[in-house]
Amino acid sequence: MTHKQLFEATLKREKVGGRVPTFELVFFLTMEFMGKVHTSQRCYAQWYQMSAKERELQLQDMADSFIEPAKAFNHSAIFIHPNPSDFNSVKRLLEIIREKTGDEYFIMMHGDTTLAIPDGANMVDFSVRLYEDANGLIKDQEKSMANYFEFAEKINKNGKLLDGFALCSDYALNTNPFFSPAIFGEIIAPVLKKTIDGYRERGFYTIKHSDGNLMPIMDMIVQCAPDAVHSIDPQGGMDLSLCKKLYGDKVALIGNVNCGLLQTGTDEQVIADARRSLKQGMEGGGGYVFSTSNCVYTGMDLERYKLINKIWFEEGIYPEK
Amino acid sequence: MSIFEEISSFLQSGRAPKVKELVQQAIDEGLEPKQILEEGLLSAMSIVGDKFKRNEVFVPEVLVAARAMKAGVEVLRPHLVASGVENKGTVVIGTVKGDLHDIGKNLVKMMFEGKGLEVIDLGVDVAPETFVAKAKEHNAQIICCSALLTTTMPEMKNVVELAEKEGIRDSVKIMVGGAPVTKEFCESVGADYYTPDAASAAETALNICLAK
Repeated sequence: MTHKQLFEATLKREKVGGRVPTFELVFFLTMEFMGKVHTSQRCYAQWYQMSAKERELQLQDMADSFIEPAKAFNHSAIFIHPNPSDFNSVKRLLEIIREKTGDEYFIMMHGDTTLAIPDGANMVDFSVRLYEDANGLIKDQEKSMANYFEFAEKINKNGKLLDGFALCSDYALNTNPFFSPAIFGEIIAPVLKKTIDGYRERGFYTIKHSDGNLMPIMDMIVQCAPDAVHSIDPQGGMDLSLCKKLYGDKVALIGNVNCGLLQTGTDEQVIADARRSLKQGMEGGGGYVFSTSNCVYTGMDLERYKLINKIWFEEGIYPEK
Repeated sequence: MSIFEEISSFLQSGRAPKVKELVQQAIDEGLEPKQILEEGLLSAMSIVGDKFKRNEVFVPEVLVAARAMKAGVEVLRPHLVASGVENKGTVVIGTVKGDLHDIGKNLVKMMFEGKGLEVIDLGVDVAPETFVAKAKEHNAQIICCSALLTTTMPEMKNVVELAEKEGIRDSVKIMVGGAPVTKEFCESVGADYYTPDAASAAETALNICLAK
């Protein structure tokens, strides 16, 4: 079974046996790990001034920065951060990853069309629009959806380069969702559902990501039928066991290893949290992907990530049937 | 329904133009600016804060209510100044050095203002030197540090240490908050107060200022 087959089977909540899949939404520590600047932190101001050969070399280099961590840490999926993000550059980056790895990895990229928590500078105006311009906000999201669907259809004409979209709009803070359930149900959930359905019709899986406490809107998210929900954020009080119990028959779950603890905890606490996540996630024999509750973020101690990856490797194995 | 109840009702539903209009009407009727502030605006914002704390309302509702309060305060401000009404305290707030996140900090700021506190907002990526210098300059009772990233949380310790070094530690309380911050972390860096949400932070800050 390839990593991609394992990941897809897990998204379908099949009881695959063997090893629990793992992946990270972003692996930022490429410089420490392999001496390369992470693609999202590169600046290609002269991209189209470069010769075609130079651009190809840059894309080859970027592809390696996604592939090598996946290989080293046995990730089953790769999330690409295209930079530059024009269609041809994205397509070529995906082609190179496929050329180098065949169909080994499940490949995804960002594709959320729905509203996210705004930044502090815009949050008041944004909040006013929630009450005074709901239709305008729905139209904005639908416009974004149309653009993403156009991209999805275009990329589909080039073979199976991409397997899914990660829907990365954050909806929640630690204590609660930013959006009230009523507003979420009126303005966001209908577009989320259309987005997920639209990607599925075009042959793509969807993984809905959000930090924070999603519980007050989790029913609505699950009803939109994404294939998985990521990050089951323990800092937001998300309980993986409870989520498995309530939603494990409807959606796969990804994450829950406390990423804050990776920075602030002791090795013993980190190991215990990785073991807890594995134990809770593996309940029922499938439908769980081991991962941090956010990503391998800039500033994290790489050794800490290696530590949880080691625990996963040694202990993330389903019992023999 | 009294005019204060009307102001409160419209503020709670975020109707800024109506709040502005009613505050002007209250002034024109000769009501005391301090009474308009406390019984009309601040008490309404307290209700919103309490509801937020009990998870009965969500952030956007708090934000539109805070915007309505601000609209009312703008009308009221010259009258408050003329009648010698003072703020209940002064808080210096910012997101710590290396951290560019501001939604939590801005929400806390609005809740502080809803308690009648003066807030000096230093923005994001604020160095310990700036926190301490501005606290001195404004004679603040509180320095409030926010962080979203676990990697920038340690900056809070630097703020505490610099406040001690600069001799203001006894006169200023240091509050910390943000997604990864915990009570244990607060204690470990020698800060005074950790609160898990914006409404609790505002209550704590008000209590600190009233106790001084």
